[in-house]
Amino acid sequence: MSLLSIDTISKSYDGVRALHRLSLSVREGTIKGLIGPNGAGKTTLFHLITGVERPTRGTISFQGMDITALEPHEIALRGVGRTFQTLQVMGTMTVVENVLTGMHSRLKGGFLSCGLWLPWIHKGERAALQEAKETLEFLGLLGRWKWNASHLSFAQQKMLELGRALAMRPKLLLLDEPAAGLTPAEVTRLAEKICWLREQGITILIVEHHMGMIMDIADEVAALHNGELITEGPPDAVRNDPRVIEAYLRGRDA
Amino acid sequence: MVKEYNKEYKIEYRKRDILYTAGLWLVSLILPDPHLPYRREFIKKRDFFYLGALLLLPLILSDRLVYLMVLAGIYAVVALGLSLFLGYAGQISLGHAAFFGIGAYTTAILTTRYAVSPLGAFGASALAAAVCAYLIGKPILKLKGYFLALATLGFGEIFLVMVRESRSLTGGVSGIFGIPWFSVAGLAFDTYLKQYYLIWGVLIALVLFAKNLVRSKMGRALLAVAASEDAAASVGINVAQIKVRVFVLSAAFAGIAGSLFSCVMSTANPQGFGLGLSVLIVMMVIMGGMGNLYGPIFAAIFLTWLTDALGGYQEYSLPIYGVILILLLIFFPDGVGTRLNERLIYLISYWGRKRRRERVDI
Amino acid sequence: MTPWVHIPQLLAAGITMGAIYALVALGFVIIVRASQIINFAQGEFVMLGGVVTFFFIKGAGLPYPLAALAAVLVVICIGLLLHLLVIYPLRKASVLILIMATVGASIVLSNTSALLFGTLPKALPPFSGDLPLEIGDIRIAPQGLWVFGATFFLFFALYLLSHRTLLGKAMEASSTDPLGADLTGIARNFMVFLAFGVSAGVGAIAGVLVTPLFYTSYNAGTLLGFKGFIAAVVGGWGKNSGAILGGFVLGIVESTSIAFIPAGYKDAVAFVVLLLILYFRPKGILGSPYIDSRRW
Repeated sequence: MSLLSIDTISKSYDGVRALHRLSLSVREGTIKGLIGPNGAGKTTLFHLITGVERPTRGTISFQGMDITALEPHEIALRGVGRTFQTLQVMGTMTVVENVLTGMHSRLKGGFLSCGLWLPWIHKGERAALQEAKETLEFLGLLGRWKWNASHLSFAQQKMLELGRALAMRPKLLLLDEPAAGLTPAEVTRLAEKICWLREQGITILIVEHHMGMIMDIADEVAALHNGELITEGPPDAVRNDPRVIEAYLRGRDA
Repeated sequence: MVKEYNKEYKIEYRKRDILYTAGLWLVSLILPDPHLPYRREFIKKRDFFYLGALLLLPLILSDRLVYLMVLAGIYAVVALGLSLFLGYAGQISLGHAAFFGIGAYTTAILTTRYAVSPLGAFGASALAAAVCAYLIGKPILKLKGYFLALATLGFGEIFLVMVRESRSLTGGVSGIFGIPWFSVAGLAFDTYLKQYYLIWGVLIALVLFAKNLVRSKMGRALLAVAASEDAAASVGINVAQIKVRVFVLSAAFAGIAGSLFSCVMSTANPQGFGLGLSVLIVMMVIMGGMGNLYGPIFAAIFLTWLTDALGGYQEYSLPIYGVILILLLIFFPDGVGTRLNERLIYLISYWGRKRRRERVDI
Repeated sequence: MTPWVHIPQLLAAGITMGAIYALVALGFVIIVRASQIINFAQGEFVMLGGVVTFFFIKGAGLPYPLAALAAVLVVICIGLLLHLLVIYPLRKASVLILIMATVGASIVLSNTSALLFGTLPKALPPFSGDLPLEIGDIRIAPQGLWVFGATFFLFFALYLLSHRTLLGKAMEASSTDPLGADLTGIARNFMVFLAFGVSAGVGAIAGVLVTPLFYTSYNAGTLLGFKGFIAAVVGGWGKNSGAILGGFVLGIVESTSIAFIPAGYKDAVAFVVLLLILYFRPKGILGSPYIDSRRW
């Protein structure tokens, strides 16, 4: 049963064709990999799914409901979380506050109730802190929970961003190049964590260049090139598909 | 018989329950909570020192200085509100003097023309400023950076033009006179001393509110919007709504300050509510430091004193004022506190470094 | 008499005013094309052009043309000094700090002018006599034609500068891609330095031209600067042609609005126009290479 389905999406920017009649779907409880050379339209697709951009044509449905025209925060509230290719860790806050920010939608209260520190705010904050610490422990960041987020190492910041997205308890998680810039050991640890997330029932869509990781953990892989879907299927089949090899070797407009 | 006993017991239990919750709430408002690290820092020992200093200050200061502190307190309220908008949420506003002016004029008009009590006018001023901020904020806050700054500046200028032109309502360029003192239940705040305690009391209450806000999910939301709007939206934060709300909140603070300003000055005229004041308030927030609540308050005291020391609007003072502004911006862009700390540490560690250098040179 | 009767005369006045706004807007755009900074003190350059010329005529006894030339040179020096003392030290600072610094500079310049030259409004004699030309029902001051001509001359000169000379292209590069400009050996800070000088010159020329039409005094710069900025936004942010077009549009709209609303609200019209443009078409009439309307 597909959690996310993308139906003949097209997107052009002032005449530049970023995506062309792309159709994709992600089954619930699986990990789907999205590969393709740079400029193939992967991040554009993420922007479209999360509502940052609107498609020129086509629709996107999540859990059977049309989310094409929704605002980014509305889509997030439906249960779609994401991480960013350019790390968007909030350096003005501490590590645990970054994770707590992820829980924003799950906490009650508005400006007035927070300012007056009404009793349920207090209780909510306590429970949220507990949960945030557990998330940090899962990510291996508990020891630094009071650190300023900008003082973490690059790999740790990537984990923090993942933690922020997880704090939302998303049903669908979009990961944009989570392994970029990580050492092989860190990539293995990341892969383990992502598999664990799948076991918890979270559906995951990963854009990645790190072939090793994708082939290891993905249930299904889709390959993009020049804004079009060239093939889709189990990792081994896609890896050996001649069109994919040509796209990666030849590059644009091959 | 048993049923009646149970009902009585239930009512007693309910009453005790409510009292207990209320008591817990009051306590949690003020006292630190060891389980929440941010609440642990809510009120530090330093704060009692500041409070004590504030309470005792007017007893040792001359009347003129108490007046300055009253003025500083009023500006500090505006700066506090603006620091939520600018220092935490990272948005620029060069028109906050207009909200200050809206508050001042609302109080002035209501108390002189319609004989509304100062307390009622106080509430109405905050409301008026908030409503105007809501109406202006919804379209304007889509803008960023320079354009937001200019749109808010434009709004400030339009406000001044409106005030100057609607002579029948606002007295035009000459303004409104004879605004009564602020009074609550018969107690009139007619001396500088009483006004001092009034304004700083209001400020302390607002500081507590702001502290609570900043340490809660809304404070995190503000910082998130400043750090990365995309990331904030990706966790479900309605960025546009948050921006409007914090804008309205900061305008309400400015309206409150404006109302008290009218009651202290007894007059309201357009001179004091222009770009100069907006710039001054923004400087207070910048000097105080972004992401800081106490900083802007200290900066308010400093800058009010500075403006007064330079003699207000005399010829020599304004160019010097401008030069000082520029110098402050060049040397203290992160706020005076941060740099002073660094410089102090650098200075203190000078001797250690000198000794180490001498040892190495052998 | 319906308000519409006045329209032709107001239109003529609006075009004259529009040419002035266009010149001020050009000043903004020159700096933006080199560095993405908005110089709040731009209006002060215009004001100083007029005031310093007056000083040279009355105080130093120079003949009119020489006084004007000297004034323009002085203001160019002031513009360069502004860059060296304020903008250059803050070259790495955030947008907010830069805005505040140029606002501070505007305060310094306008009040120093009040200090040195007095607060009374100053007037200069028009270039070619007092008698207004009459075309049909409309009266145009000949000075207005000078302003008009100068606007297009300067526009043309700047066009040549940015499209035909290497210097001009280098200036544009430093604005659109600072890192790239650095890496290709363009002295970016020097480009901004020059931009401030050119912009101050354009402003000063505008000031000399406009003072015979309207009095100038120490605080005239602020409002004029804002209206020039609004004109630049309206026409298309970051384009010279946008500045010119926006100037005329703003001038005409502002002038003709007097027919319909009380005169005291005239200044508010410009700001209302700004809010409308920012809300409905932030790119401006001619579009803007700097504003990404997708993410607006």
